[in-house]
Order: sequence, then C-alpha cells, then structure tokens
Amino acid sequence: MSDAFKAADKIRISDTPEEREFELRAHIGAIWSGGRLFIGMYTFLLASLVFSYFYLRSSNNGILWRPNHVTAPTAYGWTIYTLTLLAASMAIFGQARLRRGNVSEWQAAIWVGVVAALFALFMQIWEFTAVPFYPGSSGYASTFIGYSVMNILTIFIVAYWLETTVARSHWLVKEFRGVEIQFSKHPSAQSFRANVASMTYFMGFVALSSTLLFAMFYLL
Amino acid sequence: MTTSVEAGVEAPKPPAFIDIKPRRGQNGWLSQHVGTAALGGFLGYILGHWLGNFIGSSYPYIANSGQNSLAVLLALLFMVVGWLLGIGALNHPIAKILGREAKGEVEYTGWTRYFRYNLDHKVVGIQYVVGVLIFFFTGGLLAMAIRTELLNPTVHVFSADTYIKIVSEHGTIMMMMASSVVVGPLGNYFVPLMIGSRRMAFPRIEAFSLWTFIAGYFVIFSALAYGGFPTGWTGYAPLQTQAGPGMVSYLFGFAVISVGMMTAGFNLAVTIINYRAPGMTWSRVPVFVWSIIATAALLTLASPVLTAAGLFGLLDKTAQTSFYVTEHGGSSYLWQNLFWFFGHPEVYIMALPGFGIVGEIIPVFTRKPLFAYRIAAAGMIGVALLSFFVWQHHLFQSGIDPDMRPLFMLTTELISIPTGFIFLVGMGTLYRAKIRYEVPMLFCMAVYFNFLIGGISGVFLSDVPVNVTVHGGFFVLSHFHYTIMGGLIFAFFGGLYFWLPKMTGRTMNKKLGLWHFWTMFGFFNLTFFPMFIIGLLGQPRRVFSYARNLQTLNEFSSIAAFFLGASFLIFVANLMWSQFIAPEKAPANPWDSLGLEWQTATPIPHYNFERIPVIMTDPYHYSEVGAPALADFGNGPPVHASSAVAAAIEPEQ
Amino acid sequence: MSSTNTNPSQEHHLRRIVVIWVALSVVCDLLYWIFIGPHVPPGRMTSTATANQFDFNVLMVIALPVMIGVWEWLAFAALMWNSKRADMPESVGGPAAAGNRRTEVSWIVVTTVVVLFLAVYGTIELYSGAGSGSGEGPNPILQPAGAMKAETAALSGSGSWAPYTNAVLPVQVIAQQWKFTYRYPTFGGFESPYLILPVNTEIAFNVTSLDVIHSFWAYQLEVKADANPLQNNVAFTKTGQLGTFEVRCSELCGIWHGAMFNKGKVLSESAFMAWATSTESKNAANTKLLPPFAWSYVPDANGAAGGFYPDGNVTPYSPVEIYGSKQPS
Ligand code: HEM
Ligand SMILES: [Cu+2]
Ligand SMILES: [Cu+2]
Repeated sequence: MSDAFKAADKIRISDTPEEREFELRAHIGAIWSGGRLFIGMYTFLLASLVFSYFYLRSSNNGILWRPNHVTAPTAYGWTIYTLTLLAASMAIFGQARLRRGNVSEWQAAIWVGVVAALFALFMQIWEFTAVPFYPGSSGYASTFIGYSVMNILTIFIVAYWLETTVARSHWLVKEFRGVEIQFSKHPSAQSFRANVASMTYFMGFVALSSTLLFAMFYLL
Repeated sequence: MTTSVEAGVEAPKPPAFIDIKPRRGQNGWLSQHVGTAALGGFLGYILGHWLGNFIGSSYPYIANSGQNSLAVLLALLFMVVGWLLGIGALNHPIAKILGREAKGEVEYTGWTRYFRYNLDHKVVGIQYVVGVLIFFFTGGLLAMAIRTELLNPTVHVFSADTYIKIVSEHGTIMMMMASSVVVGPLGNYFVPLMIGSRRMAFPRIEAFSLWTFIAGYFVIFSALAYGGFPTGWTGYAPLQTQAGPGMVSYLFGFAVISVGMMTAGFNLAVTIINYRAPGMTWSRVPVFVWSIIATAALLTLASPVLTAAGLFGLLDKTAQTSFYVTEHGGSSYLWQNLFWFFGHPEVYIMALPGFGIVGEIIPVFTRKPLFAYRIAAAGMIGVALLSFFVWQHHLFQSGIDPDMRPLFMLTTELISIPTGFIFLVGMGTLYRAKIRYEVPMLFCMAVYFNFLIGGISGVFLSDVPVNVTVHGGFFVLSHFHYTIMGGLIFAFFGGLYFWLPKMTGRTMNKKLGLWHFWTMFGFFNLTFFPMFIIGLLGQPRRVFSYARNLQTLNEFSSIAAFFLGASFLIFVANLMWSQFIAPEKAPANPWDSLGLEWQTATPIPHYNFERIPVIMTDPYHYSEVGAPALADFGNGPPVHASSAVAAAIEPEQ
Repeated sequence: MSSTNTNPSQEHHLRRIVVIWVALSVVCDLLYWIFIGPHVPPGRMTSTATANQFDFNVLMVIALPVMIGVWEWLAFAALMWNSKRADMPESVGGPAAAGNRRTEVSWIVVTTVVVLFLAVYGTIELYSGAGSGSGEGPNPILQPAGAMKAETAALSGSGSWAPYTNAVLPVQVIAQQWKFTYRYPTFGGFESPYLILPVNTEIAFNVTSLDVIHSFWAYQLEVKADANPLQNNVAFTKTGQLGTFEVRCSELCGIWHGAMFNKGKVLSESAFMAWATSTESKNAANTKLLPPFAWSYVPDANGAAGGFYPDGNVTPYSPVEIYGSKQPS
C-alpha cells in the first residue's frame, strides 16, 4: 500500500498544511452534520410508521383495529427491547470511558453492544415464528409486522455502526502503534473520534425511539 | 509532511480521508464495471426468484395463485444487491467490517471510467447526465404512444390494458426517474465547483445514489415483464392491492429510488454545509447552491416517507398484511396520506433546481447582478418548508378530512408567495439590461413563460370550488406538465447548453441549439395548452377513449406532441455533432461568467482547484466598476470557521 | 430602481410598461368577463355549477393582469432590452441594480394581499356553496338546510320526498368496476342504472364504492366526489335547469376506467316523481334481493380485497388455504 502512495506522489498536487487542516475540519464537520441529518431522515421513516399506527387506530375500519386486544409476544418484545437498550447504552456509557482515555474499556463496552445487537436482531427475526395472529387479521397486526421489519433495519444499523467503529479502533491501534487514538491530534484519530461522537448520538436516538415504539406495540 | 504525530512513531501513514493524491486505478476488464454489475444483477435475480418460489411452494395459497409476488420481490431485491455488489458499491461498506479505513480516491482515466463506480463528482455528474437523458427519452417514447392512442376517441391502437400500462410507466419514469434525479447531473457536477471545494463530503454515497437510481430504472421497467401496473404513478390503494405482480416492481422500485434520493440529497446537503471554501459565507453562496440545498432537504426528509409507504405496500402484497385494505382494519386513505406527504415535497424537488439554474444563468446574459439575492434564497427555503404542509390539496374531493380543506387551501396559496419571489428576482434582473439572447438565456425566458402558466393554473387548482371542476382531468395534467416540463425540463436543457462547454470542453452548436429551442418551446405550448381546454371540457385523466366533440383538440395536441418529440431529435443530433462528430473546443469561460465554476481550467483538473480558493464576494458583480475580485486562488486558506464544531466533539483538548 | 441611465428612450420604459399593462389588463378582463366567462364549463345547470363558474371567472380576472404583466415584461426584455438594439446602453451593475428595498417590499406586500384574499374568498365560496359540490366525507359540516334530516330519515327507511316541497333528495351513487348505479332511499331503495333527478331540488349525493376508488364526476352538475370502498362521501348541489348531463369516473380504477361513463337527466319535479314511483313498483321484486340500504356495503369474497375477518377468523378463505400448514397455532 505504501508503495502505491509513493508512486502516486509523483502525480499528486501539492497541498499546504492549511489546506490539510481545512479538509480535516470539513471532514469532521461532515461527520457531525451527517450524523444529525441521518437522525432526521430516520425520524421521518419511523414517523411514517407511528402515523400509520395512530391513523389506523383512530379510523378503526371494520372495527378491526385490534379485535380482542391481541398482543404480540411480550416476552420477545421485552428481550429485544432490553437488548437494544443495552447496545445503545453501551455506546453511550462507553464514550464516557473513552473520553477519560480508556480505550480498551470502550472497546469492551462496544463489543458487548455488538453482541447484544446481534442477539436482538436474531430475536426480532425469530419472533415472526411466534406471532399469534395473521399479518392481515387487523390493523394492529399489519402495523406490527411493519414495525418488526423496520426494527430489523434499525438493529442492523446499530450493530453495523458499532461493529465497524470498534473494528476501526483495533485497526488504528495496530497501524499507528503508540498513538493514543483517544487523545491524538492525528487526523485519523480525530476522524475516528468524530465518528464515535456521531454514533453515540445516534444510539441515544435509538434508545428513545425504540422505547416509544416498544411502548406503542407491546404495552399500549 | 506536516501532520502532527506523536514522537516515537515511525513512518506514519498519510491519513487517507484527506489524502488528495490521486491513485491510478485499474482499468482492466477484470476489475469491476457495469459488466460485472449486470452479471451480479442477473445472478441475483435468478437466485432471488428461485428462493421466492422455494418459499412460496410451501404455501398452497401462493403456489396455486400462479402469481408469486414474493418471488418477484426477492428476485428484484437480490438483483439490486447483486448489481451494487458487481459495480463495487459495497466493497467499502464490507471492508469497514474489518475496520479498514477508506482508501484514497482513485483517479481512473480514459473513457472506461464512465462505466465504473467512480468517486470523482465530475465523472458522476456526467454519468448522471447520460442517465437522466436516457430516462427522459424512454419516458418520452411512451408519451408518443399515449398521444398516438388519443388521436381518435374510438379507433384504438392499444388495448385498454396496454394503454393503462403505458400511461403508468410514462408517469412513473418521468416523475421518479427523469425529474427527481435532475439534481443529479448539474448538482453533483457543479456544487463542489461553485462552493470552492475539491471534493464531495461523501463521494461513495454520491456514487451509490447514481448506481441505485440506475438499478431503480430496471426495477420500474421490470413491471412490464410482470404485466405492468394499472394504477398510474400514484398507485392508489385498493387498485394497488388488486393489481398483479407488476405492482411489486412499482412498489419496490419506489423503495429503491427513494434510497437513491435520500443518499443523493444527504451527500449534497452535507457537502454544502461543510465544504464551502473559506470566505464562502451563506450570503455569497450562488443561488443554484441555495436551490440544491433546499432540494436536498426535501430529498432527505420526504423520501423516507416513500420508503415506508412502499414497504407497507410490499408487505400487503407479499406477507398479506392489510395496511391499505380497509376491510381488514387498514385504510386506503393511509396510502394517499403517505404518498402525498412525500409527493408534494417531491414536486418541489422537481421545481427548485430549475429555479436555481435560471437564477444562475440570467445574470450572465443580462450582465447584471442577480436582483434581490436574499429574496431568492428566502424564496427557495420558504418553498421547501411550506411544501411539507400542503399535501392534502391532492385530496380535496376524496372525502378525507373535509374540514381541513380551508387550511390546505390557505397553505397551498401561501406557497405561491415564495414562488413569486423567483419571478421578482428574474424580472428585476432583466430590467434595463443589455441582454444577449444565447440559447441558454432563451431557455430561461421560456421557463418564466411556462412556469407562469403552470403556477397560475395551480392557484386555480388550489381553490376548492374550482377544484371541483378541474380535479382529475386534463386540466391537472396540463398544469403539472407546464410546471415540470415547462419549468424544470426547460431549465435543465438550458443548463446543459450553458454548462456542457465546461463539462466536456466542447461547445454545443448554436444554430442547432436555436432550432431545438424554438421547436421545443413552440410545440410544447401547442401540445399542452389545448389540454387545459380539453380538461375544462370534461376529459378525465388516464382514459383511452373520450367524448367525440373533443377529437379535434386531441388530434391537435397529438400532432403537436409528435413535433415536440421530434424537437428532441434535434437535440440529440446536436449533442452527437458537437460533442463527438465535429467537436469544437470551448474556451474556459465562453459566456464570460463570474461564477467560480468557470474560473477553473477546462478540462477541470482532478482536484478542481490547485489551491483552495478564498472567496471574497458573491459571484454576481456584473457590470460593476471597481467590483471586488471574486476570490483569491493563490494562497493557502486560513483554517475554516467550523472548528467550533470540532471543539464541541473534543472537549478534552 | 434608480440608475444613472441617460438614454431618454430607456427612461420612459417603466411608465410605458405600466400604461400598456393597465390598458391591456382592463381590455382583456372586460373581454373575458363579457364574452368568455358566461360560457366557461361546466355551465349553469345547478347551483354549484353557477357558483363555481363565477369563482373560476373571478380567479381568471385576477390572473389575467398577472400573466399580462409578466409576459409584457418578458416581451419588453426581448424587444427593447436586447443587445441587438443599437440604442441599447450597456447594463449597469452595482448595488443599485442588485436590489431595491421599495420594489421588494411592495412585491411581497402585494402578492401576500392577493394570496390572502384568494384564500379567504375561496373559503367563503366553499361555505356559502354548501361544499361547492365537492365530496365532503361521511359527516359533512357544510350542507344545505334540511339535508341532515333527510339523510337520517333516508337511512332509517322513513324518508320521503314529494314534488314542490323543497325537500332534499338523497341519492346514493354506487361505483364499481366499471359502472355507476344509483339507489333512491326515499323510494324504497330501488336501484337504477340511470341517474334521474328532479329540477329545483337540493340533491344529497351519497357516493360509495364496492371495490377500488372511483370518482363520481357529474360534469354539468358540477359534483365531484371520490367513491371509496366502505365509506360514504357526501356532496350537495341544487338542480336549476332541465336537460341531460354526463357522469364520468375521474379516478383511475383499472383497465376500463376510460369506459366508465353514462348519462343522466334532470326532469321536472312531477315527471321525476312519476318516474320514481313507477320504477319503484316495477323494480320491487329486484329491490328485495338487494342488500338493505346502507351508506356503504361490505364487498364479498369477490371484492377487491378478498375475504373478511369478522372476529379474527378468516372467512371465507380458511387460514390453511392462505397460510398453508405453516400457520401459527
Ligand atoms: C414529450 C413530452 C410529453 C408528452 C407529449 C406527454 C404526454 C402525456 C399525456 C398525454 C399524459 C396523460 C395520459 C392520461 O392521463 O391520459 C401524460 C401523463 C403524465 N406525464 Fe407526460 N408527457 C410528456 C412529458 C412528460 C414529462 C417531462 C413529465 C415529467 C417530468 C411527465 C409526467 C407525466 C405524469 C406524472 C403523468 C401522469 C401519469 C399518470 O397519470 O399516472 N410527462 N403525459
Ligand atoms: Cu401537491
Ligand atoms: Cu375510474
């Protein structure tokens, strides 16, 4: 790889330190605002589901919003919800450790989160086999299936983001032996921390939104 | 090498993400390109189809129906994934699982780079141009078929079934492919150049959006193989539930395209926010960039609603849920609400870039500053915001929330205030100017002419009593063609004539350009103006036969439409002639524009600007004695102001 | 728009534009109002047709000056402010050309006033027109006097209608792929393939569908209401002239949407009464076979949506048939 860099050096355009600094700032800003914008997008996606839920609930067409108050298997629900919350809070509490400078504790926390999320993902898919109603038997049943599919996506994103970030940290530690990725001003380290910050922020959003959806579908 | 690295570390690697060293890419046939993408798509399709049939075979209900929607869905899903794998869009996301950092961007050379997953926004821009033109011309051919059928009320060229498929494909291709994607070509190509950036914020996401759109095109077209869909581009629900597996292509196509729209908008918005060159303050950003950021906001926030709506529809068709089935506790109004909550912002996704293009071109040919720049920016943002609050004006007669109609009438009419700003800006800039009527300028004048008719007819539609007369008829049809085709498509072609010399280094032939403009403008109005009258006289949309007394008007419109179609042949001829057959080298700045994008060499170097420019003023100081210089292109810039953001993330430092 | 322009022919442009604009606007508005306005579709067969035609014309009279203004401006730009003209001075840039507070503020004020006027005016017209002939859902808040009573009575089967009593006549429009039929609840609920109406009578259209969404568009009557399955969509109009009118479907409803139209007739009140009573008795045997009159009808298994789940069970399809042996317990 470094050979390729050397060969490429000949055709590179020069860049000044200021330009490097500028690009770095822009890059960090992009991660920051990209993370926020992604939450905005995801909010609209989930809001469509929430809207559908309450719309069908209030129209109650054919008195088939939720006959006999059928409920999805709550044991599965609690498990998935707890695991998701665990994954999210691992990211949030982990970041506090990282800020204190404890990389390996952060890494351990994130790995726990990854495992929790993967397990939640498995449970969310497995739950389909235990649903006690037909998908089309009521408005609630339909929105529940829609919710399950969206939740698979959410948990997948959680797992993917957690895993790629922690994998990056291992790689960075290996490649930049001796560099403290939690403090270093090295661009790669700064980029890494910006990513961690955006990720943690998103996990907070996931914790909130999955609480809301869990309550809507399992408790209400 | 000035990167600060702790002492004691040997041989630090240059950080990849700010690495501006272009690496020569592999040009060989064995690497990834459209060929491998097509192969991946094909294999994915087969695999998905097999899997769907395998699952379906254990459900007698599916197996006996002869219509396995699940197999269609899985086939298309796997096809899209295979396509993306084949083109290389997923290489990096997969490598990330191992913690790999992004490799530096690769500079491919030669013509084959246009057939690859390329991360250079200029290459992606060109790919988008070609894509949009193909989408547009396929939709246009279908339009010719529609007008052929409508030549006569009783003699039919197509069966009723075929006709409705054609109309539906035409509408869907035009709305979802040709028009929504119009931010793609010019937005992706010129936004970084206009804000003084060397790159996009997320070049991979940018390229991803392009290849997703192309996959979406195939998905939408695959409907024809499954018997088409009978619902028009609006896909209203009980008909959607009733339709065959072609509907799956429609629903899944919308989901795919919505992902493309989100990613395209996401990258553009983040780039504009973060990569503006030093000194490029919000009051100096070109109006085109304003229009793109407004569009990007709509793309990112409205498209997820379409994704959800499509997902629910797919579940209805494959998992037998009942989201849109009123009899089973769902609601057909749910689709209408979700669809139009996306759909109205969508129509502004198709209007705003046109406004931006026009605002960018007019000052160049009037040699005057853009009149009331702030009002222009405010107008775009105002339109974007208001567009989220008007969706039920499509449902005035539907029986849904009738008590809300005065409110939606008000919000809809309010949106004409910021839209009017765009006219103020244009008219003010024309005032007492010495105008050069080059081809792009003519297109801009035509946009004002057409969009005026489109906009005013929109006010008629928003008035609930008048809406009773005109809803669901050819009046609406004419209205949206005047806004979308008369506005956006005219602006797009104007933009192509204007910017192609920069994009390809070759000027378009002016004589052919004039022929193209006048035929397109004339026949556009001759085609669509009669449709207002046809609509008022009572012809509903999407019908294969109509009242006898409307034949003359319909014939007139059809014949004009054929000439309108022919006018695009002139464009194609011009494109071929001036770009390939007898190319004429364009000067770096043929229109003598002050825009930052024109201050680069042609062809534009891989990293756009040798030095990141420092912007001193806005790009509209035409005809001004002692105007300040646009930018300082020589010296390194001071650190960008966004360090405040970094400080927020890095409290310890 | 101050500028340092010294060319006298340019100085007067603004004044000339205004004069031409006022003259053209007045002339066009008058011509429109006198010669075109009265013929604008859908004519004047009913109260809503008349009112909405008037509304259309009011909008047009406002729109014409706007369009003339912009087009005239564009024409001026094309003819006068053209670099091909020998007497055209160079463009003048600078801050004065980049904006003008007075122009901007007055533009915003004027457009806002016009827009607010239109919204208020439209709302007033909608209210005074009892919904202007548009579909108002199952519980219309805008309705002519006596409509509510007539509707309630019609549903309970106790409604009646007689000529020259100013009573509201409820009519049900049933759309299905691909035809319209009509039921007359005040006449025993008989069903007719023709829409026959009495003149000078408030009609309450109750529009519903048996399958997908259609839209009931009685063109000359100026009534338009979507026909939704399982829902009643009510629209009102008052007939004012005798004659025939056309009914079309204006919402895409599948392959033969284009063939979904028929004709109706407005008769004198006594002729209508005669037709209705004779059809009622002639159809009596058939009417008995129809489902009892209701605002909407649940389709059977052949409907667009297939089976129906009254209490969590799947009828008429069995769960096994739909989900195979893999159905959840
Ligand atoms: C060559 C130019 C074009 C012609 C002659 C043309 C003609 C038509 C006609 C006759 C219909 C009506 C079919 C019907 O309802 O009976 C139609 C529908 C439609 N057109 Fe075009 N069109 C053209 C270009 C465009 C463009 C550029 C767009 C958008 C960017 C567009 C968007 C639509 C849409 C959305 C529909 C509605 C389809 C539906 O009802 O679902 N068309 N077009
Ligand atoms: Cu709209
Ligand atoms: Cu229809």
